[in-house]
Amino acid sequence: MPITIQPYLPEHEPAVAEFNQRLKTSTNDPTLVFPRYAVPRWLPHSQSSDLFQEYFLALENGFVRGGYALKHQNFIFPDGKVRRIGYYHHPYSEGIINKSYAVVGSLLLRDAMARSPLLYCLGMGGYDRPLPKMLVRLGWTHCAIPFYFLVLRPHRFLLQMQALRGSAAREWLMNLAAASGAGWAAMKALRAWRSLRAPRVESFTVEKIAEFSAWANDLWEKNKDAYALAAMRDATTLCLLYPATDEHFTRLRIRRGGQDIGWAVVGERRKDEKYGEMRVGSIIDGWAAPGDAAPVVQAATAALEQAGMDLIVSNQNHAEWGLALANLGFLSSESNFIFAASKTLAALLQPFESNRLRMHFTRADGDGLPRNF
Amino acid sequence: MTVFDQIRALASDLFAISPDKLSVSSSPETVDAWDSVQHLNLVLAVEEKFHLQLSPEEIEQMKTIGDIVKIVEGKLQTAPS
Repeated sequence: MPITIQPYLPEHEPAVAEFNQRLKTSTNDPTLVFPRYAVPRWLPHSQSSDLFQEYFLALENGFVRGGYALKHQNFIFPDGKVRRIGYYHHPYSEGIINKSYAVVGSLLLRDAMARSPLLYCLGMGGYDRPLPKMLVRLGWTHCAIPFYFLVLRPHRFLLQMQALRGSAAREWLMNLAAASGAGWAAMKALRAWRSLRAPRVESFTVEKIAEFSAWANDLWEKNKDAYALAAMRDATTLCLLYPATDEHFTRLRIRRGGQDIGWAVVGERRKDEKYGEMRVGSIIDGWAAPGDAAPVVQAATAALEQAGMDLIVSNQNHAEWGLALANLGFLSSESNFIFAASKTLAALLQPFESNRLRMHFTRADGDGLPRNF
Repeated sequence: MTVFDQIRALASDLFAISPDKLSVSSSPETVDAWDSVQHLNLVLAVEEKFHLQLSPEEIEQMKTIGDIVKIVEGKLQTAPS
């Protein structure tokens, strides 16, 4: 019986559990788990919203051989029109454990492209992974979303940052830098030097809010045309992404002279072995006119600093948001957070090389929410 | 050059393997380098080489070199000249 791609229904849940068990047994990778339930826990389909997720399965004679998730969301485009586009994520294939199913990866992607020709992928873990390799080969347009980080506690950073301690020699160097205070002095000096060179930011006020409301609509309407591509960030969307019931998020409203100029959402990342025991804060999302990115990232950084983070990370694509972070002392490093657009989507983003610097992409646009922001 | 020879040459280039080691029964299970990414590459290479478009159903049936040859030959016979 041929493999067919079908919507994931509750009756498929036992077969998905068996599929997950096969992946787990053969790979010993606990992260390779397709969603257990047919109805997404995050952003389920609703008649009243254009922001929702749905799942699809590759089925063969009752067995699940793969699956993927498709998130639908409205975006503003360079031509000023709002269109709903699809985000393809979490593709899983039996092909990773049984090569006779090598075809499943192609089938899943082709199915998603047929359902949502305006399709994008984000994140993916780097160009050396199978999915981005496949997308590049298919001629998708792509770029890496810059990654920024700010070290707040150099001593803990030097001792805990596992990626910097890959060998005995590097571990010794990191220990020396931490113990001597040289690392602390260098990082503090860099931050001070960057701040001195940065343009002065006009004074602003910050308020922690429980949830977004109508004022966020005004900000969205006022600033949306300043971006070449941005996911809709009106109050309704923000309340779905950052519901008041979710205490992981800190929502900040930023004003100047009594007028709203932006907002930010920050939070603490879950523990990750590459960061050791450090507390890692994330500037998850934000919105403002590009010229007002600086107060927004300043407010977000201050909130995370006050919350006791050791390190702050953020992915920001827009050039002015990146500059605002750099002016605060954030460093950038190689990013494995990749944006890739299908040919149909990319055609609407031309000229891509100039538009890409004006696209607003953050971690909030990826598959990380709510687990991995 | 037969369709089989041409497809074998494409697969040989993609998988970096001698053509002599590829037969009609070669499949992802018998060729180390034939993974999901290379499968897609092979599909795209076949489409480009023979100027044809393969449907998801046809791609799903492409489990061996022999299967690919059969599908391509079938499409070439029905294609308008």
